[in-house]
Amino acid sequence: MPDTSMPPAVAPPVLEIRGLTKSFGTNIVLDGVSMQVGKGQTVCLLGPSGSGKSTLLRCVNWLEPPDQGRILLSGKLMGFRDGGVVPMNGMELARARSRIGMVFQHFNLWPHLTVLQNLIEAPIHVQGRQRDEVIGEAEVLLDRVGLADKKNAFPAHLSGGQKQRVGIARALAMRPELLLFDEPTSALDPELVGEVVAVMKILAEEGSTMLVVTHEMGFAREAADEVVLLDLGRVVEIARPTEFFTKPKTERARQFLQRYVHA
Amino acid sequence: MTAAAFMTLLQGAGVTLAVSFAGILLGVPIGLGIALVRWGEVPVLRRVAAVYVSLIRSTPLVTLCLLIFFASPSIGIDIGPVSAAVLAMTLNTSAFNSEVWRGGLVSFPKDQLEAARSFGMRPSGAFRRIVFPQLWRSALPGLVNEMTLLIKGSPAIAVVGIVEVTRAAVRIGATTYEPLPPFLVATVLYIALVFGFVCLQRVSERTYGRAGASA
Repeated sequence: MPDTSMPPAVAPPVLEIRGLTKSFGTNIVLDGVSMQVGKGQTVCLLGPSGSGKSTLLRCVNWLEPPDQGRILLSGKLMGFRDGGVVPMNGMELARARSRIGMVFQHFNLWPHLTVLQNLIEAPIHVQGRQRDEVIGEAEVLLDRVGLADKKNAFPAHLSGGQKQRVGIARALAMRPELLLFDEPTSALDPELVGEVVAVMKILAEEGSTMLVVTHEMGFAREAADEVVLLDLGRVVEIARPTEFFTKPKTERARQFLQRYVHA
Repeated sequence: MTAAAFMTLLQGAGVTLAVSFAGILLGVPIGLGIALVRWGEVPVLRRVAAVYVSLIRSTPLVTLCLLIFFASPSIGIDIGPVSAAVLAMTLNTSAFNSEVWRGGLVSFPKDQLEAARSFGMRPSGAFRRIVFPQLWRSALPGLVNEMTLLIKGSPAIAVVGIVEVTRAAVRIGATTYEPLPPFLVATVLYIALVFGFVCLQRVSERTYGRAGASA
């Protein structure tokens, strides 16, 4: 009998992006982007506005189908089946998406549902998991983001920072293999950024696999395993944060750091 | 006015209510369907829906009622006056309330739908679980408004021989030569019917709360 407990020689990264291209009309937003996120890694995607960061994130879960290139989730091709020729149908795409958790800049909570209902909606109705089990897990998650007492509140009654922590808990409730963060603190008042960053740091330390688009250089420096600088739809530099922030390799990275960090 | 005349008016009100209610019951879901076809940009069907809405909206209910009543035998289906009336009311209200539904859909926040998609919801699931529970609350005032217009437009169905409140009042006035009392009673009956619908709206708004509020 073959020993199935043996891990494969080289486990594929949770996310691998190869030669991703995306245009809107004549505007080339992503121009051959390749990068990866290993299991348990936190990778921060940095870059000036319009560099294609958010589009890259939205291509990963096929909210924007890319024009060219491949996206592999734990070695499995996203968006296509049967060896990459036939596009996935709606149901296959939905199933693939449910393996990825997404946290949005503007939270995108469902306002007619309570905090707890926001968390359990997709696990129950998309993943078809047991209601009691999902509720138990959701309550633990709310406790972890410090909102156990808000479970019956509606989103309209929460602060921005609380909404985003619900957003994170909602993504975690899907038990995702990969977490995508699309500028999670950009819509927050400055004094509320800290509480969200604190939660994200804990997740990073606990070994969640995260791809984070952010302008929070402090988070990138302290919590990222790797930093990817994107400019004009291309990867300019991939480096460990300690190296990136102290001795960047490229001129473009130096310029970026001067404007966004030392400003 | 005699007790018999009063009963005739009440019966007429029953007919008004029954035909209007049937029209609403059929027309509101059809209107939602039309709105969804247009909102979802379903190819071909969206154009058909748009043409349907503008044609029906520009046809007076009386004319539509007569058209259906007289045209149906020529295509081999001899529908009675009641069916013709219900069909005319249904078509009429579906065209108007589809615009109410569509208004709600067009203004529905896209970011909520994006969240639903990225969490693996199918369009049907997202509609049922996320859009509709909020949509009907925001559409309700407009829908009830349209329902009251339909009730008040319902005297039109008398042209195919249906005796609803107004026609009953006309008849009573014609036999007694005292038109004022039956029309006063008819007016009160209309007010009562419309008030009933508005009350239903209030109750459901209070019970289910506004979308996003602390229901």
